[in-house]
Amino acid sequence: MRIPKLLQAVLVLAGVYFGFIVVFDVILEAVIPSSLLVMYMFFVTAGVFMVFTYDEEGTRELVAPIKALVEDPSKRVWRNIVFVIVPLAAGAGTYVQMQPSFEAPLELRTIHPAPPTTAKIYGKRVNLLKLENPFRKLEKEDPEQFRELVEEGAAVYIQNCQYCHGDKLDGNGPYAAGLNPTPLNFQDVGTIAQLQESYLFWRIATGGPGLPKEAAPWISSMPVWQNFLKEDEIWKTILFLYDYTGHSPRTWGNE
Amino acid sequence: MMAGGGLKKYLPPVFAAGFLALYLGPAMAAPGDEENGEAIYAKRCLQCHGEDGDGLGPAAERLNPPPRDFTFGLYKFKSTPFDEDLPNDGDLLRMVRDGMPGTAMPGWSGLLNEQDMWDVIAYIKTFAELEGEPETQVDYGAQVATSAESIAAGKTLFHADDRCSECHGAEGKGDAIKKLKNDNGDRTWPRNLTKPWTFRASNDPKDVFNRITAGIPTTQMPSFADPKSKKKLSIEERWHVANYVTSLAKTEKVVRPANTVIQAARLEGEIPSSPEDPAWDAAPPSTFFMVPQIVGETRFFTAANDTLSVRALYNGDKIGLHLEWDDRTKSIPGDPKALSIADEDLTEDAVAVQFPVTLPAGMEKPYFLMGDAAKPVNLWRWSGGTTEEAESVAMIDAMGIAEQQMRDAGGLTAKSSYKAGTWRVVMTRPLITGAADQDLQFEEGRFIPIAFFAWDGSNGEAGSHHAMTTWYWLLLKPSASARPIIAAIAVTLLLGAILIWWGRSARTRAP
Ligand code: HEC
Ligand code: HEC
Ligand code: HEC
Repeated sequence: MRIPKLLQAVLVLAGVYFGFIVVFDVILEAVIPSSLLVMYMFFVTAGVFMVFTYDEEGTRELVAPIKALVEDPSKRVWRNIVFVIVPLAAGAGTYVQMQPSFEAPLELRTIHPAPPTTAKIYGKRVNLLKLENPFRKLEKEDPEQFRELVEEGAAVYIQNCQYCHGDKLDGNGPYAAGLNPTPLNFQDVGTIAQLQESYLFWRIATGGPGLPKEAAPWISSMPVWQNFLKEDEIWKTILFLYDYTGHSPRTWGNE
Repeated sequence: MMAGGGLKKYLPPVFAAGFLALYLGPAMAAPGDEENGEAIYAKRCLQCHGEDGDGLGPAAERLNPPPRDFTFGLYKFKSTPFDEDLPNDGDLLRMVRDGMPGTAMPGWSGLLNEQDMWDVIAYIKTFAELEGEPETQVDYGAQVATSAESIAAGKTLFHADDRCSECHGAEGKGDAIKKLKNDNGDRTWPRNLTKPWTFRASNDPKDVFNRITAGIPTTQMPSFADPKSKKKLSIEERWHVANYVTSLAKTEKVVRPANTVIQAARLEGEIPSSPEDPAWDAAPPSTFFMVPQIVGETRFFTAANDTLSVRALYNGDKIGLHLEWDDRTKSIPGDPKALSIADEDLTEDAVAVQFPVTLPAGMEKPYFLMGDAAKPVNLWRWSGGTTEEAESVAMIDAMGIAEQQMRDAGGLTAKSSYKAGTWRVVMTRPLITGAADQDLQFEEGRFIPIAFFAWDGSNGEAGSHHAMTTWYWLLLKPSASARPIIAAIAVTLLLGAILIWWGRSARTRAP
């Protein structure tokens, strides 16, 4: 038996709706803000409608049950039921919608804003386009010394960064749950694996307050590390971040 | 240390029951490959536990509790009897796999597979040359299911001879006045039993039974199965106490990450000025994690306060905030009792609420850590007082940690109480002060950024050494209005009329 077109459309919409909820709430463990959900569902509904009314046949099939309900004298009882339920449901929906919202305002921030071309770090103007990790070349030239530097970077990390970014570099340190926005997960393919070492150097040295406005610098708890660490300590920590996670930094070469 | 990552590991009882079978039995160890274990240790564990397994990795000083010293071969959370030094390998696997909430020790299951974990366990045992299998196991007898009677019996035993209350306090908040140390001489604090998400193992009765039976090696928490102990408990009694401990879980103090808005309800009468006034119970608490101030100069890594619960009420002219947090020590400088348990210089306990001076129009707020030059903040700071001076409240204008100016408190008031390990402080202020250039003016229905700071004076916390939160929201809930119901009726009638008209006209048109 074929599923009537109208039911198909309703099923698709319901599927997408619950899909959103499952993806956000269960998989991403973040409750989806209702304003966002309404916006998504608006576009999805418009899309579904367009697909289902693509040709005349489809349109006719889609509205046939509605037409029958309104016009067919034998459906009178059903008609009366629907005509009472629909306005009541709309009224109830309005009532719920009009209740004042106690949901926190949605704050969108850019996680990886475009870096400036130059930045003032350690009192010097640095050109971020040209900046390179001074120790990176040792990876090939002197693997033994490179190992030592990575270990020194590990010590800096464990003394300063693990509280937030986690001993496993998964963004889930012992204090992560108390911070909003949460510290970034370096194991994830979407963070340091996508970034250049100069970008990390800028982010680490200037921290939350060094971010441009679109990244909401006022809420990031990422400390300004040029206040606490020496320049070479930051570079060594960067070596460690890549070494531990197995990611490689993005370079100009593979742009 | 607080339980950030730990909260996730805190399994609801339903799940816990399912997992119990997995981890509490004397698990069979798979033979571990020490060589592979050594390599894993060097990469993942050495930073904390030290090259020689002595717990002296580079971060040791900044961690509370410090990383375990493996050279003694003693383990805290084991399921073997008190007179059996060896843990079961399954106990170690559990700690390595699931981590230890409330400490820096993470669960490794995401990065290491089970064989890797067995290998690294085989390796850490070599630091103390631990070999062989434990010869005896804990005798669980017949588990006593929890019930009101069992909990009541457990409560009596908990307090009898000051058995557990000696350290864990009258209500289990770990606030008893005793200075405890571990075998290495580091300060230790008895667990706050009302916060089960800070338990290193869990608050499942079977876990608690194990702790009471074996004690917690390397700490002063003794075994209550030791026949030489004057406070010894029978197997059945230990189950009663375990059931009681499990019943202490203060679930309204659990942090709910989705709850970022403190909702202040409107009152017709006065804001209750006493923190113990039952009227406060009507306002739902919002609980937030507090984390040590490790962001600005100078940093502090081992703050004592880990959560803060906030309630809010307002009326026509005032806002009232009710802050509640567990603090094991009532730090009153000059008080001999407080001095005797303080870790370092004794200062006043304190708490501060932070607001922006002006409500941000967009999302741009002042810097969460005490504001910045462009956007100042108000701090409402309460201090607990000394033997000489009563408690006090100050209004502080801040533009960063180093830029703070105290001024006349204006209409700001504060009143506190300390009972059984819990501070409660009520602060009130007029909604409108008439000085909009320096004070936040409260408006109904607006989302107002709010943040908190707390100082434990017995933990050497003062100045920039404290616990903190990032920004949350305070909302003065507008009083109910008739608009939604009017709109609902209008929509219903309108839609009903349209449908009837549509049905009529369609049928007259139909053949
Ligand atoms: C108090 C908590 C905290 C500490 C300590 C901390 N961070 Fe962060 N870090 C954050 C937060 C929160 C973010 C995300 C917000 C942001 O981008 O600023 C972040 C972001 C970052 C980023 C940006 C990653 C990306 O994908 O854009 C880097 C790199 C970073 N941290 C490195 C470090 C290093 C290295 C240390 C130690 C020297 C450190 N962090 C210590 C909280 C912290
Ligand atoms: C960021 C620091 C850190 C890292 C990295 C770390 N640990 Fe721990 N570990 C700790 C701390 C802190 C404790 C002590 C907790 C306590 O005493 O309550 C601990 C305790 C332990 C215990 C003792 C459990 C008990 O019952 O007494 C074992 C076993 C252990 N760790 C194994 C490991 C292994 C294996 C690794 C590497 C895979 C590792 N740790 C990595 C911090 C760390
Ligand atoms: C001499 C002091 C002392 C006494 C008496 C004492 N405890 Fe403890 N208890 C401690 C300390 C200290 C800790 C924290 C150990 C650590 O550092 O992990 C602790 C921790 C605990 C824990 C936490 C276990 C976990 O998984 O984290 C429980 C449960 C507990 N005690 C129950 C009891 C009960 C029940 C009694 C009475 C039968 C009792 N204690 C008596 C000092 C004591």
